Amino acid sequence: MESFLSNNSIYIVMIIVLIVWGGIFFYLLSLDKRIKNVEKEIKNGEQNEK
Amino acid sequence: MIWKIILFLLISFVSIAGIAFPIVKNPQAWYEFPNIPGLEENAKIIFFHVPTAWLTLIAFLMSTVFSFKYLKNKNMDDDAKAYAAAQLGMVFCILATVTGAVWAKFAWGAFWSWDPRQTSIFALLLIYGALFALRSSIESEEKRATLSSVYSMIAFVTVPFFIFIMPRIMKGLHPGSADDTGAGPIVNFQMNSSMLFIFVLSLIGFTILYYWMWQVSYKSVIYRDKLNKNLIRG
Repeated sequence: MESFLSNNSIYIVMIIVLIVWGGIFFYLLSLDKRIKNVEKEIKNGEQNEK
Repeated sequence: MIWKIILFLLISFVSIAGIAFPIVKNPQAWYEFPNIPGLEENAKIIFFHVPTAWLTLIAFLMSTVFSFKYLKNKNMDDDAKAYAAAQLGMVFCILATVTGAVWAKFAWGAFWSWDPRQTSIFALLLIYGALFALRSSIESEEKRATLSSVYSMIAFVTVPFFIFIMPRIMKGLHPGSADDTGAGPIVNFQMNSSMLFIFVLSLIGFTILYYWMWQVSYKSVIYRDKLNKNLIRG
């Protein structure tokens, strides 16, 4: 595996790009969770008003 | 909206150019990159690894600026902005460390060798990690905002030292170290104009992406805070 990667180093570039996008993806997931909680609270608040 | 389209085009172009453009011995055409001895195709990692480190710096700087603003105006929105920036800085700091470690495995032979650059980014991770521990340990909103603003401003004092000074005055493996002869892949010496062009485009693209993520992030924090206050009062 290692020798394959050092002989075809373009795949290392691919791994790096995947890591960067993976990190951004997980950040967006946590952000999405936060926004969903806000949405839930808005919904609960509306129901309480009724 | 226009800048989001520009962002999409920029990131697409950088991804295509950064991966697909050929590396040749004597670059002639505008799309050819020079061969850097010892790095070969690995040199292309620079288009994706350096922007993460760059964003770490920008994010921590913005966190400090908005912390200062919070202390000046006592506006909770500024605290949310500082917090979102610090969070993003942390994400990109981790990404810079991990991508750096993967690159190091194939350029230096090991994932981690306590090179000055690696040591300093590890220290930065610890320093800013403590900021989140501090934030989560304080219940009172205003106290949390004030303390974390002060902490964030003090923490940023160490950033120029860890990012710019320490890795340059100590001997190490990373380009730009004190014993670097210039034969290695230093940015200024070995990049040709086409490589530099893609590199700058990549920096711009990632900065816009960061700005977008930061905006969405701090807005979600601000709305959550506003909602909480209304619920308690109502």
